[in-house]
Amino acid sequence: MLNQKTTDVLEVEGLNVLYGSFQAVRNVSFTVHPGEIFGLLGPNGAGKTSTLSAIEGLLTPHSGAIRVAGYDIRKEALAARASMGVQLQATSFQPELSVIEILTLYAGIYGLNLNKTQIENILEEINLRSAAPKRYGELSGGQQQRISLVIATLHDPRLVLLDEPTSGLDPQSRRQLWERIEAMRDKGHAIILTTHSMEEAEAVCDRIAIIDHGEIMTIDTPQAIIDSNRDKPEVVRASRKGKITLEDVFIGLTGKAVRS
Amino acid sequence: MQTNIPKTSTALYFLLQADLRTQWRNRRSSILVVLVPTIILIAWKGLVDKMGGAFVLSNCITVGLTAVGLMGYTVSIARDRDKGIFQRLRVAPVPNWSIMASRLLVQLFMILLMNLVLFWTGYYFDHITLPFAGYALCLLTSIIGGAMYLGLGQLIVGLIKNPESVNSTTRLVYFAFIMIGMFGILGILGDKFKEVVLWTPYGTVWRTLAASLHPSTWTSTTSAALGVTLGYALLFASIGIKNFKWNTK
Repeated sequence: MLNQKTTDVLEVEGLNVLYGSFQAVRNVSFTVHPGEIFGLLGPNGAGKTSTLSAIEGLLTPHSGAIRVAGYDIRKEALAARASMGVQLQATSFQPELSVIEILTLYAGIYGLNLNKTQIENILEEINLRSAAPKRYGELSGGQQQRISLVIATLHDPRLVLLDEPTSGLDPQSRRQLWERIEAMRDKGHAIILTTHSMEEAEAVCDRIAIIDHGEIMTIDTPQAIIDSNRDKPEVVRASRKGKITLEDVFIGLTGKAVRS
Repeated sequence: MQTNIPKTSTALYFLLQADLRTQWRNRRSSILVVLVPTIILIAWKGLVDKMGGAFVLSNCITVGLTAVGLMGYTVSIARDRDKGIFQRLRVAPVPNWSIMASRLLVQLFMILLMNLVLFWTGYYFDHITLPFAGYALCLLTSIIGGAMYLGLGQLIVGLIKNPESVNSTTRLVYFAFIMIGMFGILGILGDKFKEVVLWTPYGTVWRTLAASLHPSTWTSTTSAALGVTLGYALLFASIGIKNFKWNTK
């Protein structure tokens, strides 16, 4: 058991990520505080997932520093990873294993000793107790998403990373997920999420960063970003209904061109 | 909220438990891995008197090791990589090596199981009886031979990302190894070809296994074959590990 080391749960300083000669992330810096939902927004290929992957330790940055709960992601990788819960964009669990077996596996590798009753209680909380004996491959997309989220928070991590957590969900499931994310925030977790939904960012994020071409263009609360950009000609041009929204600001700042 | 790093042994225990369950649930492929050499062993009963029990049994074990390395390990690694299962495990506080170690331990179990099934089938159906030391040494050299085929499987998943391509390549290599290896060693393809086949990955493993089953027949050539097997294993594994990517993007 290790003691927490700093107040900022996530510190990213001067992060640069390169794929060969292509620079996906350019000098990105930001912090995420406890009890905060931080949104990372950007068009396709803007560098969101690369930034998240570097934080998760899935790729080695060219330069820069990342500390999770004070632990350097490279030098103290296991402690940093133990301090975070992750829901990846394209992730899956072994389709042959049952829900209860997957929870047992992840509880085990996060150092938790949960018995069957405790696992069933966790499943009860997300309305999936009846799905406990089902194989993961037999679950619906929404159920899989709930399992993925519950595994990300199973070990009560200080930082939760959610990569497009609501993509592919129906409105009911999306609202339910927002409530779960907010409940995590209220418990003191720091949450960083990426999303393409400006509605989602406005609805749940306390602060957001808009990233494009690997660079952070702005960081602030959604309302402050709208207020500070509402008079920019490109934002006004992007407005569709007179009232300036976060989406108008986003389109104004990142351009109308469709990214691959 | 506290940071709790599990012991690597604990993590490995849970990984192994999950991997063994997955292997059991995929038992159709596991059965095929064991069934093919078993059928060959039964079908080659007539060759036992002509070529000797060790010759027949070692050929069948070599076929089984090829299947474990190529069909079992490689295909499962390619599938799990494509589905993002490894990436999810890699963001947990477990060393990367433990994820692979668990997979390899499952294959080690399969190698031992396949050997025991073939020993029993050989004894029961083909009346092959060998010294106890032969069986024991054969288990040991099977692990070395198995490591070579697992290395070959690692080479394939290292060089090819697409799981469909991995699947078709492993089947092709498996088929080629069995056909060329078995027919080559039987001498059906000519003496010169036989000499070449004996130093291929199929031939070196077969020669080592055959001598292991009858330890008294172990010669310097067998030791050389064992050395070449280890060399192949190191070569394949090092290229495979160097080129391996944990995701398909």
